Amino acid sequence: MGNKKNSYSMILAIVSILIVFIIIKFVAPYAFMYLLAKDHTMPTPSTLMLWYMILAILGTLVYVSTSDLKWAKFLSFILPAGDDKIKALFQKMIVISFPVLVAWFAYSGTVPGTASPVELRIQHPTLLQEYEKLENPFANADEATKRRCIEEGKHLYQQNCRPCHGSKADGNGPFANAFRLRPINFTDPGTIATVVENFAFWRIKEGGPGLPNVSTPWDSPMPAWKDVLTDTQIWKIIMGEYVTAGVVPRQREEIEH
Amino acid sequence: MDNIEPFINFTSRKLQYRVLFTLFLAIFLLALATGTGMAQENAEAAKTTEASAEATAEAEPEAPPEPYEVVDYRNFFGIDGRLIVWIIAELHLMFAAFVLAVPIFVVIIEMIGVKSGDIRFDNLAREFTKLLSAAFATTASLGGLLAFALYGLYPAFMRYMTDVFHPFMFIYALCFFGEVFCLYGYYYSWDLLSKTPKGKWIHISIGVMLNLFGTALMMLANSWATFMMSPGGINMETGTVTSLYHAFYNFLWMPVNIHRIIANVAFGGFVVGAYAAVKFMGSKTDEERAHYDWMGYIGNFIGLGALIPLPFAGYYLGREVYSASPVMGNIMMGGAFSWTFIIQAILIGMLFIGGNYYLWNGMSRIKGAERYTPYIKYINMVIFFCFAVWLTPHNLPLSGEERALIGEQYHPFSKFFGVMAAKNAVVNLLILSTFFSFLLYRRANKGETKPFSSHGSGARITLIITVGLTVMYLAWYALGLRGLDMEENILRYVSPLVSCLVIQIFAIVIALLLTFANKGKLAQIFLFVVTTVMAVMYFWYYGFVVMEKANLVLRYLSVTQVSIVISCLIVNTVIDVFLFKDAKEVGGIQWGKIPHRSQYALLLLCVAIVTLMGLMGFIRSGLRMNWHIYGYMQDTSAGSFTPSIAYMGWTVGLIVILFLALVALVFWLAGLADKKKKHA
Repeated sequence: MGNKKNSYSMILAIVSILIVFIIIKFVAPYAFMYLLAKDHTMPTPSTLMLWYMILAILGTLVYVSTSDLKWAKFLSFILPAGDDKIKALFQKMIVISFPVLVAWFAYSGTVPGTASPVELRIQHPTLLQEYEKLENPFANADEATKRRCIEEGKHLYQQNCRPCHGSKADGNGPFANAFRLRPINFTDPGTIATVVENFAFWRIKEGGPGLPNVSTPWDSPMPAWKDVLTDTQIWKIIMGEYVTAGVVPRQREEIEH
Repeated sequence: MDNIEPFINFTSRKLQYRVLFTLFLAIFLLALATGTGMAQENAEAAKTTEASAEATAEAEPEAPPEPYEVVDYRNFFGIDGRLIVWIIAELHLMFAAFVLAVPIFVVIIEMIGVKSGDIRFDNLAREFTKLLSAAFATTASLGGLLAFALYGLYPAFMRYMTDVFHPFMFIYALCFFGEVFCLYGYYYSWDLLSKTPKGKWIHISIGVMLNLFGTALMMLANSWATFMMSPGGINMETGTVTSLYHAFYNFLWMPVNIHRIIANVAFGGFVVGAYAAVKFMGSKTDEERAHYDWMGYIGNFIGLGALIPLPFAGYYLGREVYSASPVMGNIMMGGAFSWTFIIQAILIGMLFIGGNYYLWNGMSRIKGAERYTPYIKYINMVIFFCFAVWLTPHNLPLSGEERALIGEQYHPFSKFFGVMAAKNAVVNLLILSTFFSFLLYRRANKGETKPFSSHGSGARITLIITVGLTVMYLAWYALGLRGLDMEENILRYVSPLVSCLVIQIFAIVIALLLTFANKGKLAQIFLFVVTTVMAVMYFWYYGFVVMEKANLVLRYLSVTQVSIVISCLIVNTVIDVFLFKDAKEVGGIQWGKIPHRSQYALLLLCVAIVTLMGLMGFIRSGLRMNWHIYGYMQDTSAGSFTPSIAYMGWTVGLIVILFLALVALVFWLAGLADKKKKHA
């Protein structure tokens, strides 16, 4: 029985890879839907599917070749099956399914379709050097002034930013669904919480049109606010926006010597 | 008559490969020259045309003698100067890394040989030194070439660097003499000083001096490179030197020093591992096979050993880059260079997988290892899971349709796996798993163990000192966290970190008591479990909380995480040493009986670490973007653009091929003497 089990190690390897595929392709989208209380599934992006499956295949091959014995048993499955009818059946299945799989890859890769291209985005475009040394003029103000600025900032935020970024700064404003690239959800800790205030200042002031060429394709509909708001107003909005979103800006590291 | 071989054998496969490689190099350099070098020429031509147009307007009947022209930039025979400097600097750096790293472990191996009385260690140290002396001359030649290339192609920039650093350049030259004398003294006095124990220790002292000079050289050169990234001690408007000390000890200097020393050791270990693999596969006798198998094992052990603390040193360097300039920090991890970090993640993943794969294959030469092989599948799953998380970018390439289906900017995979909290957690898990793998390998040959109490008071004192120092460090850091000067609403997020450190202290003390009660294995498992639950599982979750509520605390979280993991590694190693001291051997290690696959893994590790060094060198230097000296001196040459990932890939690929070809040539030359001896 032990021998029989071992001689099927190639089938076990294929089954393991299939299980990983099923988890990523079919289980994960529903798992995320339930766990994150969404009203729709969250399908795994094709790039990740590809990477994870490559890793799964690689991981399986690494495991089956960790000793000469395992490797020999893995390969032995392709030797003549003899009396073992189940093994012969599996062998036929492999012989048929492998070229079919390759054909399917070739077909799906070359068939004309209308999918929009996958975009390689750069998350944080390079902050222009003139913005690097800027400092929030209210950073060192007394508590009362800071509170007043935050309140004014919240007010300005609701006036100017709410339509897209939402009243709770969660990226769900009334206009949000109209954009292909949705407005950023500031409450997500991976967004404005990861940048210094200067970065937010630059993005508000220059908007989508001010993005450097290396950051395309972004197609960001964010307007440039420099002609509408004063610098002071922008700083206040930043203060109000972080409080509304419930996150804090990235702090400058202390220079250690 | 027929037996006479022609002077050049045109049918030789080797010759054909050489011709092909030379052609490839020529085409590659030509292609780059037409792309970038010409741009510089065009820019200069445009300048000249403008100048000549102006000159014609004010033409005088008698042309004055041509004035001496001060040039800021030059091309290398039509090829962009930056490309040439890039290639030479990287090659020099790789050879230097090897030359600096090898003496570190050679001296340690020699000491082990003296202490254990095992001649094999001494022979191994000597063989490594042979490679070292051969590589040393190449390093020096490349260093000279780099200096000439810099002074020739970037005269204005080098004029300024010389103005600032000329006193240190003389010290550098002095240290170089020191290194040369120590290296040759160390290599050629091996037989002479091996005769007496006193002589042997003098020899080891020369080796230590060699290391000191080598490290000093590296640190001097590092200060110039880090000055370019984070200049200090100069007036940023005029460039006047205000403090030579601060120009030298600029604030990226120490993080780069630490990172480079550790990375060099990993680099050296994997390169000698590959050397051993090639020798192993070409071995004719069992004796040779056994020797090179063992050498490959030592190389992999050194490489993996240094690879374990490397992510921590890298994190520290990255944090300091953020301190130096948020712009540099941002483009490094979130901007133009963020995709290079995905490549880095793949290479680091390959190193961990390759290292583990080699260990697992190595278990087949140990009788008794079959007791532990069932664990391999679980470690393998954990390592590949970590690799998958480590690889997942926060910012996924998505098509419009996918984005519409997901309904938001981030898919949960990239949201939960793509950020620092997750990366830190899995890299720690990766390190713990690799360490676990190594512990299994160590005990594969061991049978019945002796109780801890039988090892006497020496063992007890060593363990108490180790635990004492580890606990003191953890307590010191916990107290530091308690005393942080922060706002109250942020400070409360630090408390869980302190609690985790205290729990770890208790866990270590319990592990100590369990070991004293002759339950060493249980102690190790207990410490592993506590560490994994806190440093991996809890901190993964808590990292998100901190990111959202108080990201200022994130840096303390990372250090706490690292401290907990390192404390576990140290204490478990010492317990392991005594746990299996004088244990019965099951069947011995049959050196030389290892599948060839494992040797290819060693070659892969070498290629991966060389590529990684090339890539990281590009990132470190490229972060300055269009600056020679960040914030003070701009690079106005045509080659000042930040290269695209494709351009970077080609150049780093070329550097890797050149390095591997050169190193193969140098090692082959070093082995010629042995071949002669054998034939004689």
